[in-house]
Amino acid sequence: MADKEATVYIVDLGSSMGECHNGRVESDLDWSMRYIWDKICTTVAASRKTWLVGVLGLRTDNTSNPLQENDGYENISVLQEIGPMTMTSLKELQGSIKASESMSGDAISAIIVATDMIGKAAPKRLKFKRRIILVTDAQGPIDSDDFDDISNQINDLGIELIIIGVDFDDPDYGFKEEDKPSIKANNEKLLQSLVDKCENGVFGTIAQAVEELEMPRVKPVKPYKTYDGPLTLGDPSLYESAISINVERYFKTKQARPVAASTVVVKSETDGGPSQSTQTLDDMDGIEATGGNFAAVKNARTYRVNDPDAPGGKKDVEFESLAKGYEYGRTAVHISESEYNITKLETVKDFSIIGFIPMDKYEPVINMGEACVIMARKFSEKDELTLSALIHTLYEVESYAVARFVAKDTKEPQLLLLMPSIEPDFECLYDVPLPFAEDVRTYQFPPLDKVITITGGVLTKHRLLPTDDLSQAMSDYVDAMDISTLGTDDEGNPAEYAAIDDTYSPIIHRVNQAIRFRAVHSDEPFEAPTGGVLMRYAQPSQDLIKKAKSEIDALIEAADVKKVPPKAKGKRAREANKPMSGLDVDALLGQNKRTKISADNAIPEFKQALNSSEDVKQIEEAAKQMGEVIRSIIASSTGDSGYDRALENLGVMRGELIALEEPGLYNSFLEDLKEKVRDEKLGGDRKLLWWKLGKSGLGLVTDRESDISTVTQTAAEEFQRLSKK
Amino acid sequence: MGDRGHEYRRDEDEDEADEEMDESDFKSQKDAVIFAIDVSKSMLKPPPASDSKKADKDSAVAASLKCAYQIMQQRIISQPKDMMGILFFGTEKSKFRDEANGRGGSGYPHCYLFADLDVPAAEDVKALKDLVEEGEDPDEVLTPASGSEGVAMANVLFCANQIFTTNAPNFGSRRLFIITDNDDPHHGDKTARSAAAVRAKDLYDLGVVIELFPISREGDKFDLSKFYDDIIYRDPAADGGNAEEIKSSKSGDGLTLLTSLISNINSKQTPKRAYFSNLPMELAPGMTISVNGYILLHSQKPARTCYIWLDGEKPQLATGETTRVDADSTRAVDKSEVKKAYKFGGEYVYFSPEEQKTLKDWGGKGLRIIGFKPRSMLPSWASVKKSFFIFPSEADYVGSTRVFSALWQKLLKSEKMAIAWLVSRTNANPLLVAVLPTKAQTDDESGTPFLPAGLWLYPLPFADDLREIDRKETIKCSNELIDRMRPIVQNLQLPKAMYNPAKYPNPALQWHYKILQALALEEEVPEHPEDATKPKYKAINNRVGGYMVEFKEKVEEEAGGLQKSRATKRELEDDDDDARPAKKSKAAAGSKGKADGANGGGSSNAQLKKAVEQQTLSKMKVNELKDILGAKGLSTAGKKADLVERLEQWVEENV
Repeated sequence: MADKEATVYIVDLGSSMGECHNGRVESDLDWSMRYIWDKICTTVAASRKTWLVGVLGLRTDNTSNPLQENDGYENISVLQEIGPMTMTSLKELQGSIKASESMSGDAISAIIVATDMIGKAAPKRLKFKRRIILVTDAQGPIDSDDFDDISNQINDLGIELIIIGVDFDDPDYGFKEEDKPSIKANNEKLLQSLVDKCENGVFGTIAQAVEELEMPRVKPVKPYKTYDGPLTLGDPSLYESAISINVERYFKTKQARPVAASTVVVKSETDGGPSQSTQTLDDMDGIEATGGNFAAVKNARTYRVNDPDAPGGKKDVEFESLAKGYEYGRTAVHISESEYNITKLETVKDFSIIGFIPMDKYEPVINMGEACVIMARKFSEKDELTLSALIHTLYEVESYAVARFVAKDTKEPQLLLLMPSIEPDFECLYDVPLPFAEDVRTYQFPPLDKVITITGGVLTKHRLLPTDDLSQAMSDYVDAMDISTLGTDDEGNPAEYAAIDDTYSPIIHRVNQAIRFRAVHSDEPFEAPTGGVLMRYAQPSQDLIKKAKSEIDALIEAADVKKVPPKAKGKRAREANKPMSGLDVDALLGQNKRTKISADNAIPEFKQALNSSEDVKQIEEAAKQMGEVIRSIIASSTGDSGYDRALENLGVMRGELIALEEPGLYNSFLEDLKEKVRDEKLGGDRKLLWWKLGKSGLGLVTDRESDISTVTQTAAEEFQRLSKK
Repeated sequence: MGDRGHEYRRDEDEDEADEEMDESDFKSQKDAVIFAIDVSKSMLKPPPASDSKKADKDSAVAASLKCAYQIMQQRIISQPKDMMGILFFGTEKSKFRDEANGRGGSGYPHCYLFADLDVPAAEDVKALKDLVEEGEDPDEVLTPASGSEGVAMANVLFCANQIFTTNAPNFGSRRLFIITDNDDPHHGDKTARSAAAVRAKDLYDLGVVIELFPISREGDKFDLSKFYDDIIYRDPAADGGNAEEIKSSKSGDGLTLLTSLISNINSKQTPKRAYFSNLPMELAPGMTISVNGYILLHSQKPARTCYIWLDGEKPQLATGETTRVDADSTRAVDKSEVKKAYKFGGEYVYFSPEEQKTLKDWGGKGLRIIGFKPRSMLPSWASVKKSFFIFPSEADYVGSTRVFSALWQKLLKSEKMAIAWLVSRTNANPLLVAVLPTKAQTDDESGTPFLPAGLWLYPLPFADDLREIDRKETIKCSNELIDRMRPIVQNLQLPKAMYNPAKYPNPALQWHYKILQALALEEEVPEHPEDATKPKYKAINNRVGGYMVEFKEKVEEEAGGLQKSRATKRELEDDDDDARPAKKSKAAAGSKGKADGANGGGSSNAQLKKAVEQQTLSKMKVNELKDILGAKGLSTAGKKADLVERLEQWVEENV
């Protein structure tokens, strides 16, 4: 709608721009282009047809612009006509951004050309946001004769003029270039004076512009109305006493998501085989210069049902022969088209208060997500007054309201908590969704402030409970690490640290950065920055840590926490091997020793055999028997029916042998199993089992998992391939 | 293909769909529960007769069955992929799988497998329902063994072992719920006790957890040490080594045996599954403990529709398999060919797998406190998604529990919250969270007695998640109005002055499954849904009707005055406010229409009429049209042409 934009970038391509200055290893042009590319990429990413972009080259070797007939317009070239920006035009543009051999070309003339371009593409009568952005090192000659005319024109069209210079002096930002060439110093003054004449002008130095690129830009979203209608207390259709307030409800928070990645595949050129196209893709590191080489991937679904007579126990069915329904447990319940809505609760649009609760009896941790804001309908005094009375009363008696909410007819009811908010000149209710009975999972957890023994005794002193020293140290530490005034506001006064307005979603902005980077640098690898704005709150502030050092040290000492070495973890679990009575069941077992691992109780018997083993021989024997059990499960499986059981046994065997530091036994079993699968010696085609085995992480034990293993990760991955020897 | 584990995770939390499973987790995240119910004379004995309405009417077996029936229905709703089975023991008859009824020589004498372990089907629900509600027991299953020799617990345990081994292979959670009133099944028989202990060890090694639900009778204490201490195992590393209590169910104290049993079993209903385990929690450099994270709140939705094949003997669920095809050439695409790319300016940009990885690299998973703030600095609207519950784990850092406890106590006492950086799992996106404590359940002040005491990770919105709101200056009501509203709010408190979700089942979800159940069991479809979320209108009217009437009178009075003063102000503004013309004056015209309309006709209705005659209504903005329509109590839905037409019609009829 209103946000149409027309922007012309003027890029100074003079030969001086190709040089590096002031200790930088990047040419002035590349440095400046960081800013320009970022701006242009943002436009491309938005893919808006109404955002127009034009690019002018200043101090180019050639001349090609609409005003070139006139004097003083030499060495200015239109690199891109004003129009919507696409990936293809971005690629083309990239080719033409190079420092020239030229030193001449007047920046002011370029601004006139740009103004002319905008005037044509976005005539005054249309509503546009117009902008000219000039980036230059101000080393070229500038004719300052008709600044008044130019600025009048710019102002008349409502153009914002932004001039950003390489190493321009900027006292506000705190930059001053030493030994500035006099022509540059003079030009800077001239350009500054032009900007000053414009109603809407910005004059700055490139260092600041580049630095600000790092600041994430939040994408504005228009307010979305989620409800418009009455909020009631009582039922106005039944009781005259009922109160009804006409309200409007909008999103207050809505989780923003990163740009979604699409699933694509390289286009098959002609009807070439799939192997060919895979190759093409692997060769390339980024986007293809020619573009358009990817095709979107679609999902095609096929449907199968159980059929004991079919091979593999399943057969395909036509999609057309299927009806819709729901699962009730494992029973399929068919619902005919005409009754399709039968399971849907009939509801009518409703927003009604159920009752009130005191604020201190509500814990925010139970809310289920995004918040909305509720305001009275505009221009309606009665509604405004009633809502205001409700807000103030809730505030005063420290209560929240609980309300039933049905956004529109047939929608599912929701329960909302309504919370009053009063700011100068602005009052509203905020709401958050509440959980239903089914949404709460009751897990039991032991108390945190006492220890209950098995016999039911209550202890208040225990190794699991903090000592008085620890409690004191914790208290001091928490107080020392207070960040409620650690930040600074715009005026430099102490303010809240990590306030919501200052925190940016790391994933959203990193993905955006990466995409913009990739669009411009198709051949350079992307590396995520480890610091910067996005990671600012990944660590506590170093100053704070320094300040709180003594409290932290005291806490560490009083806590006396010990890291468990990785090796010891498995052992500790083994100690749990006794029932609550402490009865030594292994001793009972010892009396009638199980010598053979039976198929129907394989896992316990395997574990017990290993537990009672005294030498490697016995372990080998147990592993051998377990292997036999597994093979027979696979061989006798109808279709994939026995696979889960086989995998469970494999998992136990693998885990136990790793714990006993005998990974070789598992690995050699697996090598044998692979051969038998490959040669179809286990009752037919068992490829699916092999695939599942690999997917479940039950392949060869690698040297990462066990010090004793000599199998590398790569070798283990290679081993999973069935086809090759 | 068959990749159920991932499927389940997606159910858990759609946002984290593309997260990887926890390392080395090769088991499917499913739960299987067998209810083993002791059928003995004492379990079948009806409670003593009583005149009291609240008195127990159920025998222990009946209560157990009712409980199982209720839980089976609940599980179909909330854990549709999980399995359940019912095994009676101590019965005269024996049955296992397809063995014929009562025939001797069953592998497990006096064990009767009533419902085999599986995802419950409609028939299972029906059979259980008949047994529970109708008392129909045509096969005389619920008859205790007559002979002197009862059931061997070793057999019960091994029977369960076999059911789990074959029906629920590779399940992440397998549990045997034993309901009995007999604390000493093998009194004096040491061999039988030892045999049971060995079979219990088998179950333990198989990874099956035994949950005992003892029923204590007439004041007798259920003595675990007589038998069950040899059967039950507890993992000392779980929950920081603090043992969980085994609670006996009993009748009395105003509770029936059934409610007591249901509350005990409900607390074990869902297997305690950690969303993340042993996550390092860094309080400061050099001060790390480990915590487990749990999802205690999860929005339950009706399952999606599925496709059903009707051409067979029985309707059958058709399972879909997805093959990927190239959208251009429609040739099938192999998984290895598929790449992730981003759309950019009408084309795709692509990142290598290594680059994809760096995009998701946030310096490893963990929870790191960056400082503390007063709790009051958490705005009430700062909410984007549900919170995680965390609890200490001693597995990686010994001493985690006491440090965690000290932090919990301090945050409660000083009303503070921690602000922390959270990467909950490998591949998870970072979040900033507020770490908030909940009070102990026994604490009278606790706002969540239905939830455990501990710390919560409350996700904070980022600046990106905030929506602009149109902050129009609002008017403040008078103090008199507040005085009149106050008794209304004060007299309509929810029971116990708190929000207890247990009182509000989700009406849409319940209705969905109620209808499905009726269809599946071929029963009559109920006519009226129960909806506990509907306000109690009658009670509201009775309690505060009078106050509300008085309040509304006062509002009318104040609104009238306000309209006049506003109208004057607006006219003044209209006269000298040329800087921002069109929109404002037109909107004002709309509202004037409303204000005057309320007073029974006037100039602005005349204006509207004029606009209709001159056909200039369509020049107004959609928002303005909607404001006027809304103020007249008309629908604001539809396209602009509809709005104009609706308003024209209104003007023609009313002006």
